[in-house]
Amino acid sequence: MKTSSIGITGYGQTAYEKRTTRTLFSFLSEAGKNALDSAGLTFKDVDGLAICSFELHPDNAVTAAEQLGLSVSWAYLGTAGSAGPVASVINAVHAIETGQATTVLCIAGDNYDVGGHFKLMDNFNRGLRNYGTPLGFGGANGLFGIIQRKHMETYGTRREDLGRISVDQRRSAQRNDHALLRGPLTIEDYLNARIIADPIRLFDCVLPCAGAEAVVVTTLDRAQPGKGVRILSGFERHNHPPMEIAPLRGGWETFADKLFAKAGYGPEDMDFVQAYDDYPIMVAIQLEDLGFCKKGEVSEFLARNTFAWDGTLPLNTGGGQLSCGQAGIAGGLLSVTEAVRQLRGEGGDRQVANARRGVVAGYGMVGYGHGLSASSIILEAVQ
Amino acid sequence: MSEILDYPRPHEDEDNRPFLEAWREGRLMLQQSRSGGPPFFYPRPICPYTGSTDLVWKEASGRGRIVSFSIVMRPNHPSFNDEVPIILAEIALEEGASLLARVITSDASAVTSGTAVELMPRPEAARYPLPTFRLAA
Repeated sequence: MKTSSIGITGYGQTAYEKRTTRTLFSFLSEAGKNALDSAGLTFKDVDGLAICSFELHPDNAVTAAEQLGLSVSWAYLGTAGSAGPVASVINAVHAIETGQATTVLCIAGDNYDVGGHFKLMDNFNRGLRNYGTPLGFGGANGLFGIIQRKHMETYGTRREDLGRISVDQRRSAQRNDHALLRGPLTIEDYLNARIIADPIRLFDCVLPCAGAEAVVVTTLDRAQPGKGVRILSGFERHNHPPMEIAPLRGGWETFADKLFAKAGYGPEDMDFVQAYDDYPIMVAIQLEDLGFCKKGEVSEFLARNTFAWDGTLPLNTGGGQLSCGQAGIAGGLLSVTEAVRQLRGEGGDRQVANARRGVVAGYGMVGYGHGLSASSIILEAVQ
Repeated sequence: MSEILDYPRPHEDEDNRPFLEAWREGRLMLQQSRSGGPPFFYPRPICPYTGSTDLVWKEASGRGRIVSFSIVMRPNHPSFNDEVPIILAEIALEEGASLLARVITSDASAVTSGTAVELMPRPEAARYPLPTFRLAA
């Protein structure tokens, strides 16, 4: 649906910090302001607000509007974990299409650290709190170790291929001053790293940190010349597949065909992929489910491609969460801001050559075993 | 014995009390719709397969197989720190339901996917807040 008149006209972020004394609202408001600056707008132009944040309680989207001094006709609180930010963009489009808002500010952020992340996971939902936490389950690492081992044993997926994701993303991160982790990383470093939850090792994991990301969703006639990015299509899916603890697939498989059909393109037309990289194994599963390769063949696909900004399939071109750090739910919007940056040609020395369009995938809300929520959008530069 | 007190514990409520009470006696209970359908875990007030709220509790044999597993070196809570490595397994019970559980063994390298496991007898498992398994004899 190339006729879509709604898009992203601004993006912004804060610096990421391993530990911080800053408040959550200081991160959320700074990212929001930066996104509006980038769109050539101000808070006065905003009539819709979407907030995604694990640490927001006891606040919500409405009290966030109060904090920001906004009177809004549409307010959205993300509930799909780190699939929420991409879902918030999709829902912002719907709000604009139905006349409930004209200009939506989507913000995602958190201010926690490694200890805060474990505490969050221990109480993430009733399923995990009651039947995971008392096992010493090791947080998300323990759960995704089960999924990775199953993928390796079912399909012959190799760690040396999964590791290419971490290693190539680090190459891109070395051109991103914003990334917390910029040191050199080799495949040997990846393979021999400290075991966290075997088969998960250190460089399969993200560094929990503090920070925020934001984008402005509005009609493209409000975009500054050359700064608009069209949203071609977007879908979300929750609790798929039901009643499986460690599936080797996710909600993306339910909408990949219509996601690409509505956009009018196929996976081969994407100039980059911004996937949700909480773990390389989940990036691999997204590549399969979104149709970049067949289910079970991702190891070979990884082996014959390169993934840095100048690779055969540029992937998480700012380094992703694996190198930037995971600022809680901001990790689900980092992918969108990087996509918009690339499509505006503002990628600096990690700019993907001739980046015209790309796919962004979200993932999150770990329940009793795996992430329940998947979301994706396809974005295109406005010519 | 302070470790027993230190483990994070499930919040007991009307939905899971029969399950937790049974485990305190060394039994593993699953739920099932009275009219049929697969047994399921974790406890809840509605059958996720049939939508029925007319549920019965059914004792499981405690026998199953490891589908996949992690060897956790970095637990989520300090009460487990002295117990690493923790084997966190997805276990398919012979009744058809699956659950996450610890497999207790002195030799983590002996654990493989497909290995048969059995519920640990209560006297040895009394300290664990949830059903816990060992490699089948």
